[in-house]
Amino acid sequence: MALVLAAAFAAQFVLHELPCPLCLLQRILFATLAIGPILNIRFGPRPSHYALSLLAAVAGAIASTRQVLLHIMPADGGYGSALLGYHYYTWALIGFIAAIVLLAAILLFDRQFEDDGAALPPTGALVAQIAVWLVIGLTLLNVISTLLECGFGACADNPPVYELLKRSS
Amino acid sequence: MEFTLLFLAVAIVILAAWRGSHPLAFGLYAAVMIACAAAYLHHATDTLKLSF
Repeated sequence: MALVLAAAFAAQFVLHELPCPLCLLQRILFATLAIGPILNIRFGPRPSHYALSLLAAVAGAIASTRQVLLHIMPADGGYGSALLGYHYYTWALIGFIAAIVLLAAILLFDRQFEDDGAALPPTGALVAQIAVWLVIGLTLLNVISTLLECGFGACADNPPVYELLKRSS
Repeated sequence: MEFTLLFLAVAIVILAAWRGSHPLAFGLYAAVMIACAAAYLHHATDTLKLSF
């Protein structure tokens, strides 16, 4: 999840392309996908934790499908740049569908839900802690960039410039 | 502004899942998902400029 959020950020700053509202919603839902695994690290694997991630993945797939359909007409160039032939919302749709399939595959293994009596560390291993703090950090960076982009009003459908930077310059 | 608040809310839910209680994380998650659905419906009900 941290990698996906970092890639979206890189595209935003390297290519100077501002994310549209649906793009932002897809980023939010990618961050929400991480909540199930974080609960698994903290409290141990439970079906309800996977359910939270599945719901986020389905919501993300709906939002990205909507954006794909917005640009489905042959003459439409799409929103933003393409990466390896697909726009970011198409990659997002592929990512959310892959997450649904992966979560379903993980749920096939019932033995993970059996209580083996082993005590879990309160916040997981070091790698898990780094991953969680990365997701939290990237989500907070998105708070700042979205505030700069949208300002204090409703976010524009096709934002040309950072709203707050425009006002201050 | 709505997306700024949503990102902030997701960061709070992640922190609640990481450090807080189980019911708190689930409750906050539900609130965020309802807010996401509202943001989606707000933007998805815009008129589409399509010509066939």
